[in-house]
Amino acid sequence: MSFPKKPGGKAFEILKTLPRITLANLRPEPGSQKEGKRRGRGQHGGNRSGRGHKGERQRGTRPRLGFEGGQTPFYLVIPKYGYNEGHSRRPQYQPLSLKHLQYLIDLGRIDPTQPIDLTQLVNARGVTVQPLKRDFGVQLVDEGADIFAAKINIEVQRASETAIAAIERNGGVITTSFYDPISLGILIKPVPFFTRGQPIPKRMLPGEDMVPYYADADNRGYLADAAKIQQARLALAQKYGYILPDISKDKLYHMLAMRKDVRQIFFGLSPGWVVNMPEKKILKPTDEKLLKYYNS
Amino acid sequence: MAAAVSRRLCGLLRPLSVSLCSRTPMICQRAALSLQQAGPPRLLGAPLGAPACQQARCSLLHRVSALVPSLLQQPNRSLTYYSVKKGKNKSVRSVKDRFLRLHCGLWIRRKAGYKKRLWKKNPARKKRLREHVFCNKTQSKLLDKMTTSFWKRRNWYLDDPYVKYQDRVNLKF
Repeated sequence: MSFPKKPGGKAFEILKTLPRITLANLRPEPGSQKEGKRRGRGQHGGNRSGRGHKGERQRGTRPRLGFEGGQTPFYLVIPKYGYNEGHSRRPQYQPLSLKHLQYLIDLGRIDPTQPIDLTQLVNARGVTVQPLKRDFGVQLVDEGADIFAAKINIEVQRASETAIAAIERNGGVITTSFYDPISLGILIKPVPFFTRGQPIPKRMLPGEDMVPYYADADNRGYLADAAKIQQARLALAQKYGYILPDISKDKLYHMLAMRKDVRQIFFGLSPGWVVNMPEKKILKPTDEKLLKYYNS
Repeated sequence: MAAAVSRRLCGLLRPLSVSLCSRTPMICQRAALSLQQAGPPRLLGAPLGAPACQQARCSLLHRVSALVPSLLQQPNRSLTYYSVKKGKNKSVRSVKDRFLRLHCGLWIRRKAGYKKRLWKKNPARKKRLREHVFCNKTQSKLLDKMTTSFWKRRNWYLDDPYVKYQDRVNLKF
């Protein structure tokens, strides 16, 4: 009762007297390892060795997969159709439901008092984006729009109308912006990029087919007019039947109004700067030509 | 190598046949290919021989190859389990061109003959042929074996007409 118990107890004392562990002392748990089939040995593995009786099966001369004895095989009878045509040129957007976004905010994995970017979403392990698989970013999906209750400044690549309405109803701000594949790769993994020692590149503008989407105020595109966006916010509030809260009187108005420049990839970092991670320094270009290029 | 051989052939021919070869370089190259397939020793022995009989052979091959071009190019339909360069499985290209795999495991295809001899088919039959159809279990298993895991991944294309079919709904078993 008053004696302190030694950790391990009797087993530990016995272990102290046993010899050193070597390969000669170790053995797998009986029944944990099943022996593989050995063909050509014994009553069951021998004789025809599991190959059947005569014919192509036993002799190993079966024709290729899909061959139907000379008849035009099924996979060639069917006519070609462009199901997969240009699949590697089609942009893909990883879906993010508002339900999952609310879940991440509730768990504290995403900070609603800071602007929410794709970097923040990936750091929080909320989405997994693969730029090499033609992913162009994240799209907001309607699921969970009725239970969403968080005031955030979020930037995604695509968003459905219901999702935009759900965010603005709670007094938040949503922007859709475009990232070309290289910028996207840098955005989702900033630290490996900084260790490379290359200057931050300019974010490229969207291609011809995507410009109308990002220039449209209804989609809250980053290329659209600020005045038109305000009108679109009012129109959406009328359509979905909620009162648009006035964000200019909000405490976090400054944070909600933060938006990236068209050519900017990171908040607070301009294109052309080099980030030195080990020495914690930022190097900015001074040459005129470089400044002209990175500011254009 | 075939191109070099054909160039050598054309260069050794007389001026008359040079003009012929220059007008139809494709047939000349195909002729060289077929000659190679027929028998390399004959080809190596021939160039310094009579250019007149080469002319005759060239024109004969022009006629023959125009009628039966398939003899010159045989398709290779086998499935590669270990590729030469990377040692990986390869997909069969014909499957990718004709079928679509949904993420739930179903494969979609067109009906054979949906654009052939439609004048003799009645409207109901034409409508049935225009439909997109599923493949059955054995066919689906075959197509799964003929493609790599890349074709089985989940895709989130923009404005994909097949998005709502990627998942099964109300399936009871």
